[in-house]
Amino acid sequence: MKKLLALIMALAMVLSLAACGDGSTPSEGEGDGGGSADISGTYDVVIWAPEAAVDLTKSQVEDFNKSNEYGITINATVEPVSEADAATNMITDVQAGGDLYFFAQDQLSRLIQAGALSKLGTSAAQFAKDNNNAASILAAQSGSDLYAYPLTADNGYFMYYDKSVVPDSDVDSLEAIIADCENAGKNISYELENAWYTAGFFFGVGCHSDWVTDDDGNFISIDDDFNSDKGLIAAKGIQKVVTSKSYVNSSTADFASGSAVVVTGTWNYATIKDQLGDNFGVTDLPSFEVDGQSYHIGSYSGCKLLGVKPQTDATKGAAIARLAQYLTGKDCQLARFNSFGWGPSNKDALADPAVTADPTLAALNEQGNYAVPQPNIHGSWWDIAKVITTDIKDSDGSEAALKAALEKYEQSIEAVFTMSDDVKNAFTVIGSINGDGWTLDLPMTADGDIWTSNEAYTMDAGVEFKCRQGKSWDVAYPADNYVVETAGTYYIQLNAATGEVTLIPA
Amino acid sequence: MSKSNKHHMGIRTLNRVSNGAIYTLLAIISIIWLIPFVFIVLQSFRVENTYQVGYVIPQQWGFQNYINLWNSDFKRWYLNTFIIALAAAVLQTVIVLCMSYTLSRFRFKLRGPLMRFMLILGMFPGMLTMIILYRVLADLGLTQANAVPGLILVSVASSGMGYYVSKGFFDTIPKSLDEAARVDGATRLQVLTKIILPLAKPIVIYTILTAFMGPWGDYVFARYVAFGTSSGYNVAVGMYSWLTNDQIDRMYTTFCAGGVIVALPVTILFLCLQKYYVEGVTGGAVKG
Amino acid sequence: MSKNRGSNTGGSRIGSLLKEYSDAGYLRLSKLQKFIYKILRFFCSIPRAVGGFFVKLGRIVKKAAISLADNIKDIGATFVHGDWKTKTSFFIMGFGNIARGQVLRGILFLLFEIVFIVYMITAGGYWLSMLPSLGKQGPEQGYDPVLDTYTTLYHDNSFKILLYGVLTIFFIIALIYTWRLNVEQNKLAEKYLKDGKKLKSDKEDLRSMVDENFYKTLLALPLTGILVFTVMPIVFMILVAFTNYDGAHNGFSNNLFTWVGLDNFNTLLSWQSAGGGQSYSATFGEILAWTLIWAFLATFTNYFLGMFVAMMINKRGIKLKKMWRTILVMTVAIPQFISLLYVSKMFAKNGLINLTLKDTLGWISQPLPFWDDPTWARVTVILINVWIGIPYLMLITTGILMNIPADLYESARIDGANAWQQYTKITLPYMLFITGPYLLTSFTGNMNNFNVIYLLTGGAPTNPKASGAAGSVGYTDLLITWLFKITTGAESQYYLASVVGIMVFVVVALISLIVYNVLPSIKNEEDFQ
Repeated sequence: MKKLLALIMALAMVLSLAACGDGSTPSEGEGDGGGSADISGTYDVVIWAPEAAVDLTKSQVEDFNKSNEYGITINATVEPVSEADAATNMITDVQAGGDLYFFAQDQLSRLIQAGALSKLGTSAAQFAKDNNNAASILAAQSGSDLYAYPLTADNGYFMYYDKSVVPDSDVDSLEAIIADCENAGKNISYELENAWYTAGFFFGVGCHSDWVTDDDGNFISIDDDFNSDKGLIAAKGIQKVVTSKSYVNSSTADFASGSAVVVTGTWNYATIKDQLGDNFGVTDLPSFEVDGQSYHIGSYSGCKLLGVKPQTDATKGAAIARLAQYLTGKDCQLARFNSFGWGPSNKDALADPAVTADPTLAALNEQGNYAVPQPNIHGSWWDIAKVITTDIKDSDGSEAALKAALEKYEQSIEAVFTMSDDVKNAFTVIGSINGDGWTLDLPMTADGDIWTSNEAYTMDAGVEFKCRQGKSWDVAYPADNYVVETAGTYYIQLNAATGEVTLIPA
Repeated sequence: MSKSNKHHMGIRTLNRVSNGAIYTLLAIISIIWLIPFVFIVLQSFRVENTYQVGYVIPQQWGFQNYINLWNSDFKRWYLNTFIIALAAAVLQTVIVLCMSYTLSRFRFKLRGPLMRFMLILGMFPGMLTMIILYRVLADLGLTQANAVPGLILVSVASSGMGYYVSKGFFDTIPKSLDEAARVDGATRLQVLTKIILPLAKPIVIYTILTAFMGPWGDYVFARYVAFGTSSGYNVAVGMYSWLTNDQIDRMYTTFCAGGVIVALPVTILFLCLQKYYVEGVTGGAVKG
Repeated sequence: MSKNRGSNTGGSRIGSLLKEYSDAGYLRLSKLQKFIYKILRFFCSIPRAVGGFFVKLGRIVKKAAISLADNIKDIGATFVHGDWKTKTSFFIMGFGNIARGQVLRGILFLLFEIVFIVYMITAGGYWLSMLPSLGKQGPEQGYDPVLDTYTTLYHDNSFKILLYGVLTIFFIIALIYTWRLNVEQNKLAEKYLKDGKKLKSDKEDLRSMVDENFYKTLLALPLTGILVFTVMPIVFMILVAFTNYDGAHNGFSNNLFTWVGLDNFNTLLSWQSAGGGQSYSATFGEILAWTLIWAFLATFTNYFLGMFVAMMINKRGIKLKKMWRTILVMTVAIPQFISLLYVSKMFAKNGLINLTLKDTLGWISQPLPFWDDPTWARVTVILINVWIGIPYLMLITTGILMNIPADLYESARIDGANAWQQYTKITLPYMLFITGPYLLTSFTGNMNNFNVIYLLTGGAPTNPKASGAAGSVGYTDLLITWLFKITTGAESQYYLASVVGIMVFVVVALISLIVYNVLPSIKNEEDFQ
């Protein structure tokens, strides 16, 4: 009897869950696709901004509501979410995430992959490109599309130092700085066990690490030469720092806790200024010397971006796009610079005298000569590259050990692209379809040996393509490119057993 | 095999250990145990810098950090945690007592299998079930801004698994008491409310106390449920963010102040009810 | 360090322990020999136990089959011989109960059936039908040319399909069980009435809920909670191990996920190098080894040091007992995220301890690598865990120490035993016997001690050998923190975390099984009552 009672209770629970659960199963359409371009109305928008920027963002949204010409009223909820955690939080549940969110650019690919970023419309993309500097646009780009609006261009690092320990005459030489700190019993805070900082040494000697993504945010390949003779020089540079007794793996404002040098960015300016007072010094990174030759340590330069979550309602999406453009415009960027020193990416804002006079931005600017714009990087690279430092630190210090560390790095990178069997065996279509220049692999689905393209493509006569396996040219049909004879809309079909390619009119 | 030589030395030293030496040792231990807390309290009163420094005693004393706390979302987090703790204390206690009393007093067909089953369930790491519980709560609308009822629901719903300690306690209450009452015509319900519960006061208080203390330290799941919504945070989630790289230099002393405010009531409550806690632990915990 | 006076146990004798002893022979063995004997016997008995398990399994299957056949026969017989009320109840649950005057029972049965049917039509059917594929249509991107805006249309959600699919199956099982109960009740009711007995009235039913069936009332709520919030998630978690659920297939906003069979187990257990570093299995092995070492050390350092502190405080003549206890117990009261985070910062390379030693006191010239060197980090973690754990152990052991009958010591003293002998002969055996089960739970608890590791080190320092494995593995990572890192890492491989979770379960279960078989005091819970 009471078993029944228990069951009924369980049942009530199940039902309430299921009732809520199935609400979203049949997806409803997004309303009118055509219609007028009137986007006036009131929209509830959740904005995720770093704690420091919450109040400013609220007032900026108010200003937008007053001043915009589209009749949009944004009813904004601004939540404090650090730009470093945005991806982790968005990925938890994209649906429940912020509509607009600040994030650091290294999360771009993860966010695209998770389906948490909406592509920018043509005019929005044009707006972003017209107003922001090239590096920040690169940061927001995957393939040929823009996925976010640049907010800042100050995500780089340089060197703060204590003038009472490191005299100005020494700041250009890594060896001199290390000697000064060791003699004074002070630390050097340099977070080299973090790939963002590790890579700087490699860029300094002229190495590169370039990732190639397609339009969907998928990584296709990497062009990287860290494991080379040049890379070995960089490894020796890293070795100098990490084997010093002064080395501390940190990038916080450590001047009050034993450091005389801290490699970090603009965000720590106020604290460090306060800690050092008259002894405050800031400059670009130093040079290190290997075999009589001097190399200036490089760095990444990066951005903070403003992302828009994919919207189901086009009208709301358009309204949010307007808000995003306002928030990343010149006035808002300058306001953020004035409030908490975020260096703008907006071209006009960059020319503002207050910005050009800022000491940290000046140091960042100087370091900019040796900085590499941070591209869109595969998420696992961060864990792989930081191990170079750990390996160097733990090694016996011999050249062979350094080489081994780089060798391992290369293997790990290659393994990122070791494809799953599914991908290796799958055929894709590649060619001049849709005006593409043989860069995009279009997916196909198998039914036994018969592979059919997932979509029908409208092709003019003369369009050429091939079907290839595992995105490589080892197995590709037909032997010569297939040339479309009659224009039309076709599915592409391949018989993998015979290698025969046919067009099926849609 | 360490040979007897060592043992004899041990004996002699042990014998010779005077109370004085024990006092010294206890004093040292006490200092080690108290140091971090004293430091936290000291730093919470530091006015001159908000970041980590290489000294402990503030150069300038003041309540600035507590004022900062008051002006932040901390109030809300504190209230959230307090509500969760209170609700958990009441509801978990009811659930745990139902469960442990039943398993201690009744002998029914499925009792053995049920206890074995729960033992096995307990061996699965709970970490992963987080993502499922999140989804269930999300569908019930109990996440983010509504995280408080969600966290209460989850903490209460699976609390039946933690019946061991109080079952151990119930086992020590003689069964003859029940039987005497049953002979007098009391129902099982009456036996529970009239006879057992009054005797079980220590374990009831122990259960309430531990249930109340739990939510103050709940971080991982609470963060998951309340993600990205400050108004749904508990103290642990909110304060943890103050120690991240981009905030620690501004919020370090505020964190210490928050730590004091969080620890104070819990510690006072705990010290007042210490007697019951000790009784609960020694009476029930070891028996499992 | 047990005493082996009399029989000289060397390694050579251990071999002879392998043979089975008669009762008399066993009793002649020393304690250590008995202990080793039991462990060896346990391992020797594994093949037989495994064999026995399969025999038992066979028997269970056979029994289940017979019982199923019996059930079906019984159901058939009930239908054939039953009156019209019973027959109707086969289709309308609870009809017989209502017709025979047990309205309350009947309504509950009926309600359950109605709810089930409504649920299956509105939602359950959909979830169940999607379960084999875990969804057909992923999200679609659209473009609105007028508004120049991209939109996304969401369709199936693999995660929900799996979740509610599992729930629906639970529900169906519940229905079958209830239906069977309904049939049984009809049969019994008919028989009772035929025999001229009275059926229980609703009032009697209600009364029994607080009396002879009180346990069902008490258990209903707790067990429902456990079923929905513990059992169901665990079933789900196990199922995830057989899918490709990860960051790139989150089942909703990017790609759907699907069943992949045993692939994930192959990945974890394969010896192939995972991305330049060592293989997953090697990483898993390393972390497992450290997890076991950690659990062992964390448990026993706390245990013995806690006992030591308790004995000091309890010693006759020591004053201010309450104050000493209170000071220690404060660490239990203060939430761990405060105390551990603070202590973690204290031990950092530029933290308070290093600065004091180096600058203020000048004892060291270089900061001590508490969190930077693998061995230092591991030792520090264990030491700080002692700081956290001793108070708790002190409380536990205090109670037990006071319960040891004083006359045991008295007679020992008369026999001329010194303090150490008293400790090893009386205190320790008594403690070990009483706290055996606690030690086991504490050991498994430490294996899964997420808080201490996560808040203190976050797994650091990084283990470069394991660079290819998911997440960034560190030298102090336990399996449980690794599992957490896998899910929060760049690729969010939930499927792999799920496999690791299952492995953790296997290890914990195996250890529990061994200890359960070796330690006598755990076996019989009634002994304690």
